[in-house]
Amino acid sequence: MSDTIKVSIRNLYKIFGDDPQGALAKVREGMTKADLLEQENHVLGLNDINVDMKEGQITVIMGLSGSGKSTLIRHLNRLIEPTAGEVLVNGEDILAYSEAQLRQLRRVNMSMVFQKFALLPHRTVLENAGMALATQGISREDYESEARKWLDRVGLAGQDDQYPHQLSGGMQQRVGIARALASNSDIMLMDEAFSALDPLIRTDMQDLLLELQAELHKTIVFITHDLDEALKLADHLVILKDGAVVQQGEPQKILLAPADPYIEDFVADINRARVLRVRSVMEPGEGGPSAGDVAPNDNLESLIARSEGAVDRSFRVVKDGAVIGHITMADVMRALVPRRSSDESAQDKAA
Amino acid sequence: MATYDGLFDTLGLREWCDGGASDGPMSMADLLAKTKGGDAAASSSTPLRDLPFPSLDALHDACGAIPQTRDLTQGLEAGFLAIRDALRIVVDPLTQPLSWMLREMLWVMTATPWWIMVPILLLITWAVARSWKIVGFVALVIGLLAFVDHYDVAMQTLAIIFVCAFICVLFGVPIGIAMSRSDRMQNIVTPILDMLQTLPPFVYLIPLIFLFSVTEPKLYGIAVILYAIVPVVRLTNLGIRLVDKDVIEAADAFGMTNRQKLFGVQIPLALPNIMAGVNQTIMMSLAMVVIASMVSAPGLGILVLRGIRNLELGVGLVAGFGIVVLAIALDRVTKASLARIDASQANR
Repeated sequence: MSDTIKVSIRNLYKIFGDDPQGALAKVREGMTKADLLEQENHVLGLNDINVDMKEGQITVIMGLSGSGKSTLIRHLNRLIEPTAGEVLVNGEDILAYSEAQLRQLRRVNMSMVFQKFALLPHRTVLENAGMALATQGISREDYESEARKWLDRVGLAGQDDQYPHQLSGGMQQRVGIARALASNSDIMLMDEAFSALDPLIRTDMQDLLLELQAELHKTIVFITHDLDEALKLADHLVILKDGAVVQQGEPQKILLAPADPYIEDFVADINRARVLRVRSVMEPGEGGPSAGDVAPNDNLESLIARSEGAVDRSFRVVKDGAVIGHITMADVMRALVPRRSSDESAQDKAA
Repeated sequence: MATYDGLFDTLGLREWCDGGASDGPMSMADLLAKTKGGDAAASSSTPLRDLPFPSLDALHDACGAIPQTRDLTQGLEAGFLAIRDALRIVVDPLTQPLSWMLREMLWVMTATPWWIMVPILLLITWAVARSWKIVGFVALVIGLLAFVDHYDVAMQTLAIIFVCAFICVLFGVPIGIAMSRSDRMQNIVTPILDMLQTLPPFVYLIPLIFLFSVTEPKLYGIAVILYAIVPVVRLTNLGIRLVDKDVIEAADAFGMTNRQKLFGVQIPLALPNIMAGVNQTIMMSLAMVVIASMVSAPGLGILVLRGIRNLELGVGLVAGFGIVVLAIALDRVTKASLARIDASQANR
């Protein structure tokens, strides 16, 4: 995992309406989304978005419906044109791209997975998986092996000649993922890719994605409205509300130190013991007498199980044989209680 | 003298009116009024109940400079006749291939012996519909028509429909595609389609009779095509516009060019709708080919016309029944092929 910034969004605005530029000036003067709709009859889709997406990471953009997350992801490959701002991919501003350059970007650098799968209903599974390659002008014989390889990889071996409507939703989305992977693009955009699937299948697909990511290290931009999904997948979490970024950062940090009441409400129903990791709660140093060793990525739930209910124990945190800190059960208990953003001391401690 | 005299007098137009006083032929009404005697002039104060609508004719009575309605129709006719020759020079060569196609097709379908022609037709049916039931039904229909000695006329009707439906698809599908890609194009073409659809079929024939000689097959060919092209254009446009937005977005996201999108996604997905349009087009050309028998289109329509003209009830009824079974056969065949296309891509 490198720290290279792959995709960067700078001061991005999107306003829907007849005169977006006029409305933009008003927004920059500080008009709110509600006022803009009421007084100017324009919809503020995105309001001054700044996000950096690092290479090889999963950036999850989360928000409720209407928060602008689907609009935002469509700016990354210019399916929607922004009103103002910049989108930098590999350091180049794609808004300055010509049509041919843009097409090249969509064919080679970016692939997309859709909420409603959006497979071609008149093409077989194999042809769908090879769609990106066929679009690049590669003949069927040449893309067949590549498409088949990715179909096998997502668990769809032997379904080549089926049509999408013959498959279940989960399988259709596997085709969607195989299609995106087969293009060999280094950026993958996933627009609520698992939202239309039932919970069990969704968990399967999340595991599949994490498994593939561990191997492929793509730059993934994942849109979701489901916090559990976001926490599970995210390396970097961006929370959108009414078209603006409310908070972004490492998911554990957001959980421990929510920036405003909106996010507090959001994270209130989360099973914190399962989501929080030892590394986010631990203190540096060896600490007192240790009851055992734990890994930094263990979740608190497993720690509680190991403590057998005793609240006075302390564990050493060991990574690759070296002690990197310690964690007391008192820390664990404190971390399990959702903190209010007003509680300054707690915030400092977590940060 | 006339009701609206006062109007022109008060407007001070009397001089202009009299200046252009018509020395045209006297109308029957004028003549009658004259023979009735001088009291027409006396009744210049018409009771309100009898006030005529200020139409061209009524105004002409008061003011000779205003033309009568018959001048309008005559003017149209004269105008049409004036541009006719110029129009012919352009339209004649353009439409000549249609005449050839119709003539050749008619010749092929009637000159080929029935024991070759019928199997060929059944083979086409099989190729399109892939159903033995339909093939059997078509064989039954042709057999029935041939049994009552209507084989030749039925083949003539079929020949005309094949040629006209083919040309309708040839032009209709591209027009429909153009409409689906531009809203402006759609706004221009839709009123024309509306007009073609609502214009009584007989009205098509009037200018065509003036334009082409009645012996030319293209005369009825054009009439049939104009009438029958509407559904295929409309449904192509509709079909492409109805293609799932998500799929189109996916095509864009993977960097398809417009051309790849059109031929790889939009047309294949719109095909069931386009085929429904083709089905309607064939049905409508069958309807029109009967009416076109008035301008010498051969086929079953001629017999229907004979039934009407000579009051030969039996001839008209048998021919009419023949048209019905032919229509059913054509409809079943195209519907079966439509169902086949639909099943093979099964729109989710």
